[in-house]
Amino acid sequence: MSNASFRARIRQSIENETLQTALDNNSERRLRGKATAFESIPDWRERRQRAHSVRADVVERLDEYLDRFIANAQTNGITIHRAKDAQEAIHIVLDITQSITNYQSPSPLIAKSKSMVSEEISLNHALEEHGIDVVETDLGEYIVQLRKERPSHIITPAAHLKKEQVAQLFHEKLGIPYTEDIPTLTATARKVLRQVFLTADIGISGVNFGVAETGGICIVTNEGNGRMVTTLPKTHIALMGIERLVPNLDDLALMLSLLPRSATGQKITVYTQLIHTPMPGQERHIILLDNGRNKIRNSPLKESLYCIRCGACLNACPVFRELSGHAYIGRDLSIAPYPGPIGSVISPGLFGENYFQLAQASSLCGACKEACPVDIDLPKLLTRVRAGAADDAKRKADEDGKGLTWSTRFFLRIFTRLSTQPKLFALSQKLASLGTHLLSPRSAWMRLPAFTGWGYSKDLPRFAGKTFRERFKPKTPATSGDVALHNPDSNVSRRWNAASEGAALHNPDSNVSRRWNAASGDVALREYLVQQFTGELAALSGNVYRTQNPTRAVAEYLLANHVLKIYLQPGVLDETQLTDTGIDYTHDPDPTLTVGVTKAWAGLADTGSVLEADGELFGSLLPEVHLVILKSKDILPSLPDSMSLVKNQNAVFITGPSRTADIEMTLTIGVHGPREIHVFVDDSNSG
Amino acid sequence: MPTIQLFVTCLTDSFFPQTGEAVVEILNRLGVRVEFPADQACCGQPQFNAGLRSDARQIAKHTIQLFEQTSGDIVTPSGSCAHHFRHNLLELFEGDQEWHPRAEAFGKRVFEFTEYLVDQLNVTDLDAHWDGLLTYHPSCHTLRGLNVDRQPRALLQNVKGATLVELPNAQECCGFGGVMSVEHPELSAEWLKRKISNLEATNAPTLVVTDAGCLMHILGGLKRQGKKQKVVHIAEILNRRL
Repeated sequence: MSNASFRARIRQSIENETLQTALDNNSERRLRGKATAFESIPDWRERRQRAHSVRADVVERLDEYLDRFIANAQTNGITIHRAKDAQEAIHIVLDITQSITNYQSPSPLIAKSKSMVSEEISLNHALEEHGIDVVETDLGEYIVQLRKERPSHIITPAAHLKKEQVAQLFHEKLGIPYTEDIPTLTATARKVLRQVFLTADIGISGVNFGVAETGGICIVTNEGNGRMVTTLPKTHIALMGIERLVPNLDDLALMLSLLPRSATGQKITVYTQLIHTPMPGQERHIILLDNGRNKIRNSPLKESLYCIRCGACLNACPVFRELSGHAYIGRDLSIAPYPGPIGSVISPGLFGENYFQLAQASSLCGACKEACPVDIDLPKLLTRVRAGAADDAKRKADEDGKGLTWSTRFFLRIFTRLSTQPKLFALSQKLASLGTHLLSPRSAWMRLPAFTGWGYSKDLPRFAGKTFRERFKPKTPATSGDVALHNPDSNVSRRWNAASEGAALHNPDSNVSRRWNAASGDVALREYLVQQFTGELAALSGNVYRTQNPTRAVAEYLLANHVLKIYLQPGVLDETQLTDTGIDYTHDPDPTLTVGVTKAWAGLADTGSVLEADGELFGSLLPEVHLVILKSKDILPSLPDSMSLVKNQNAVFITGPSRTADIEMTLTIGVHGPREIHVFVDDSNSG
Repeated sequence: MPTIQLFVTCLTDSFFPQTGEAVVEILNRLGVRVEFPADQACCGQPQFNAGLRSDARQIAKHTIQLFEQTSGDIVTPSGSCAHHFRHNLLELFEGDQEWHPRAEAFGKRVFEFTEYLVDQLNVTDLDAHWDGLLTYHPSCHTLRGLNVDRQPRALLQNVKGATLVELPNAQECCGFGGVMSVEHPELSAEWLKRKISNLEATNAPTLVVTDAGCLMHILGGLKRQGKKQKVVHIAEILNRRL
């Protein structure tokens, strides 16, 4: 077995300076962002272990949770499909597409938000072969689709590109004058894709989590495209791996405290949607895909199914940092759908032998395990793949050295012999010493040719003339050593097991379990929460205004900004008073309006989020400016405190204006959703 | 007076015997009797890491049996071999009713050298002297595999005459990774380049490590590039006295 093509691809990546700069930027920014984001949850170690247990339980009792999820989703009016492999999943999508008779355009148009499952089954390719237009709407995915590439990173699909390349691409494909100005490039994509959202017949999305207890699905996006594709088209299809479940909403809240922090260094993503039912007049489908997951589940690679697809292991991995996702190739030269450390386990796990070689490209340095928010032991799983755990024929971690070159295997087999026969071992040391001294009589370091691997970038020391075993002489030390054994200066007396993993687990600073009793009416606490909320939202460039009369405050804002007509969610403001100030409003969808006003069910102090109805797209997503009315008494400390409000509804947590960092990791505001969010905190006690 | 068993590691034995001698001298000075079971060879980590598990098992059984005839803690001047013994052997013998418990009992006796000094002997000051700047590279398996980091740092803090400077991005792998360094020399070379340029940024002439693998790899890279910096095992630093 040779890994020559893989190595050639690795060399290509390493020699591509543009790519290397992009990858270094990605890793460094993501690692920094992640570290900062975790500072706000001092009990993260405990959360990580809890998350690990939750995922372990789901994978262990998967059938049970799946049954519950399916039954609840069906009760909510969602159509469930199960696909055992890629072919079946594609057929289901085609069947749904073909069952639609009246398209908005001459041929069916599908707007798609990010879904790694769709990459896994090469859905776009299959749909295009059937004459169906599919448009990726995540900015990064849109860029790679225009370039006819696969995403190079599971979270940041265009992480491998620099802005000059995107500038050239948009100039060529979208006909705009060449510009490297990222806000201009983003605005161009917004304009093109807005039309796609409004005319698409079908929206296809992925799923971040399914909730067994409620039958709901959770989708997190920053740009707002996820909300567009799941809400605007008459048909929504969600693609989901069968393992992506959590038991209940509390567990979901736990996962949501880890996923965005690990993925993008955010406390929470801009849009965290919880979808339970179809929109009025909409058909909603969920396709549950196996495609090898049960196979993994029954193999020693089971733990890889705990993955929540945050991409943190990619950012931390020194291999990924040299390669990018496009260099993770199989023996047939196809790019593995999942790259990085997790990809080097699940790509062979799902698709077998073709991708075995990926697992050998690791020093087992453990940076991936350390980065994983659900504590998957990735180095262990990589050694299991190497030992044949992904081999269909065996399905058992055995003794194969999968993906290993024959020469290394040959050398290691000899070394095994020597290592179990002491006399032979000592003899071989002598021979090696003699040999290397003959080869390099003058220098203690030898230069081997590059093909040996070692000689590629480093010299090899000569074997010692006299080995340690020849030098060692047992010696009885003085009864008391000349350095006092019980050093009084030493304050380190813990044994290794006490100091090892999890010593800091029970952090006294932890305040997660603190739940605010809303009935307490504690004025000081409420004020504290309002201040915290204001500070968090301000950090995301959102504005907060305190008011006793939200209608008047909104009217003043609108008049000051010369806005005369708005979309208004019914029952939010005093409509007579509003009309009296000269502001016109509508409750009907109108994509031309630039300001929308909605009501929040709750606010979250620790993230600056508002929770509201997901369906209010014309108020909270399509306009340039989103105004939110939030009662100060409805500001809760944190996400878990608000989960009971979600129940079985379609809800969304909105945290700041729509944003992206898909081009060169540069934060850009207002991709698909509003560029501005203003929250009017109602201090009156009405309602 | 405790007696320990030394697992010197095949790399130290064959390439850097002076590291093993420094370990013995330090322990002797502390009043510890050092025994060296002569039939030891490699720990089997390369085979385990490569996926050759039956090979790794053969070697592990040989080593376990050898040390079962001895008593006392087992000390090794290598984080990765200690990690292999303590963690990988449990994976290797999972479900094996005979060998799993034996591997577990064996693993519990094993300590990385600095971990043994600080956590078992309660020593952080060895009255060592070294002139000049030192910088420390935490080997992957010492740092993340064993969670051993404060121990070598505490020992180095107390070296007289030396100033310890932080290596930029110290936690990054040097690119050795056992067989990876020959299976994927291109990757290995890139990480080595980065490690060496981080070392140069410190201006320290001496890089301290806790593992012969990293030592051989980084020093081999420095030699190839014609650089003057040295890579020295921590035992040799701690054994240098006035």
